[in-house]
Amino acid sequence: MSRKLLRNVGVPLLSLLVLGGLWQAIVVGFHIAPYIAPRPMQAIDAVTSNWSTLWPLALGTIRETVYGFLVGAALGVFFGVIMAKVPVLQRSVYPVLVLSQAVPIIALAPPLVLILGFGVTPKIVIVAWIVFFPVTVNVVDGLSHVDQDLVNLARVYGAPRWRTFLQIEVPATTTPLFSGLKIGATYAVTGAIIGEGASGSYGSSLALYQVHANSNLDAAAVYGTTMLMTAIGITWFLLVVATEVAVTPWQRRSVARQPLRRRGVASAGEGTSIGSTPLKGES
Amino acid sequence: MNRRRLGALALVATLAVSPLAVVSASSAASAATRTNVTFAYDFPGPDFELTPLVVAQDRGYFAAAGLNVKIAFPPNTSTTTRMLATGSADIGFITTTDMGVAINAGAPVLSVANYSMRNNWALFAKPGSSVTAKNLKTQLKGKRIFSYGDTWTEAMLPFVLRAAGLSASQVKIVTDPTGNDLTSLLQGRVDYSTSTTNYEIPGFVGSKTKGNLVTVLGTAVGAPDVPIWVYATAKSYASAHGATVKAFLSAVKKATIWAAKNPTAAAADFSKAYPKSGYTNAYNQLGWKLTIPYLTNSKGQYFTQTDAQWTTLAKALKSIKLISSVPSPSTYYTNKFLP
Repeated sequence: MSRKLLRNVGVPLLSLLVLGGLWQAIVVGFHIAPYIAPRPMQAIDAVTSNWSTLWPLALGTIRETVYGFLVGAALGVFFGVIMAKVPVLQRSVYPVLVLSQAVPIIALAPPLVLILGFGVTPKIVIVAWIVFFPVTVNVVDGLSHVDQDLVNLARVYGAPRWRTFLQIEVPATTTPLFSGLKIGATYAVTGAIIGEGASGSYGSSLALYQVHANSNLDAAAVYGTTMLMTAIGITWFLLVVATEVAVTPWQRRSVARQPLRRRGVASAGEGTSIGSTPLKGES
Repeated sequence: MNRRRLGALALVATLAVSPLAVVSASSAASAATRTNVTFAYDFPGPDFELTPLVVAQDRGYFAAAGLNVKIAFPPNTSTTTRMLATGSADIGFITTTDMGVAINAGAPVLSVANYSMRNNWALFAKPGSSVTAKNLKTQLKGKRIFSYGDTWTEAMLPFVLRAAGLSASQVKIVTDPTGNDLTSLLQGRVDYSTSTTNYEIPGFVGSKTKGNLVTVLGTAVGAPDVPIWVYATAKSYASAHGATVKAFLSAVKKATIWAAKNPTAAAADFSKAYPKSGYTNAYNQLGWKLTIPYLTNSKGQYFTQTDAQWTTLAKALKSIKLISSVPSPSTYYTNKFLP
């Protein structure tokens, strides 16, 4: 195992093991009854032994998370761009957006049910509601801080506005955009779970499974479901990080790539080039 | 003003505004010498089923019994049993199904008295619905039935479906722990709601909807006619503080009898004690009046539990796999603290 792999995978795993050990020690040391808090392995067993029941419910939560996230992210980018481009709109819409986030999601759920029913739609709306705000704010900030010299340079060269936007402004916004998406990804699963628990469902859901387990004093199932929900949240966050890595390769290069050179030809403006073959006559 | 004088003043004030109070100043223990009891309700907020407790508190029955009772509200409907088991509360109010699953989970709790004596859980439909106990199959198939996801509904719904000859997959059960079943029903979001008559009917009356709420009692379609709510405590608390449990039940029984005889005044007591409960006095009054018939058994007794009620319930819970075995009824209850 390479040192890098050990650092990236081994250390977090070790942290989880320490956390699990601490959990086990507290439950055993304080003689906590199993209907109050289970041991870690009991919680894991509650998931694995009921996997055939839990997996379809988890898929439902994942679906709500993904759909809600995509809708929220799309709305966030849309609002962000519009607001950054139209200052009047930014001044008028921004306070409304802030206000929207001050509304407690729990209070939002019941009216959503009455309007949209008990299906998947209210959950998607709740997730989108949570996700779109950090995305919007970050896109607005990103577009507001684009290097104006680059924009001016593009104008000087006669670049159309759409090309300036796509080739200068969009790349400059990716870092704040992904910051917003990562925040949104973290909260998206929470939103889906809140939606499932607070807005009702046809049949069951991961949140309702947990409610039932809680009613039946099945603490192992309650903790196990929480672990499963957490796993979904972490996986979704890592997927967003992976997407960021894939679409913004330049973010991770600390040293600019060496320009390609033909053997024996120095780049324009370079007097000498270390490592390249000397020009004829030079020696 | 010290605590003793404040307590004495409070007692005098209570007696002055309560001509029907059976408490005399001489028999009332002073606030400082009273035994503190934390009572946990089964719901995050107060509602009219707390009326006996409010009456016992406001009209001096607890004080006369030497008790200083503090009412605590759990964060959700499934925490009261844990509050009792962990000693966060001394005596609590839970459903008999909560008791069943608690014993099944190994929680050391004990039911010390029935609150209600019979099962008034029902299926409700909007005015004009032709659903009856006899045509359930045709009326329920494919329809949306609201459930709060509580253990009582979880336990009762299978009986309704069994009577209708339907499986759970042949209806759409809508589970919404934080919603409002009646609002969903009247808005047409569900076809049937499930609740108890004493809660559903006042809500319907308050909605001012024309017509009558169509009610199919669970007991008419095979659900067991067993008590829904009980007073419970931890086994250790019952062992160590038996006299306190007995004094508590004695005070609550007197208050319950008084509140049953004076429903309007009792509901007014509740509304006054909890003006911000979110319920109108009319709702509280009707709710309490509809609760009264369920407080006594066929012999007119309050509180008395039976082996039969617990065995019937345990068998019902086992038949729907909510519990794994049917223990001896004495595992669930005792009548030895009854006044």
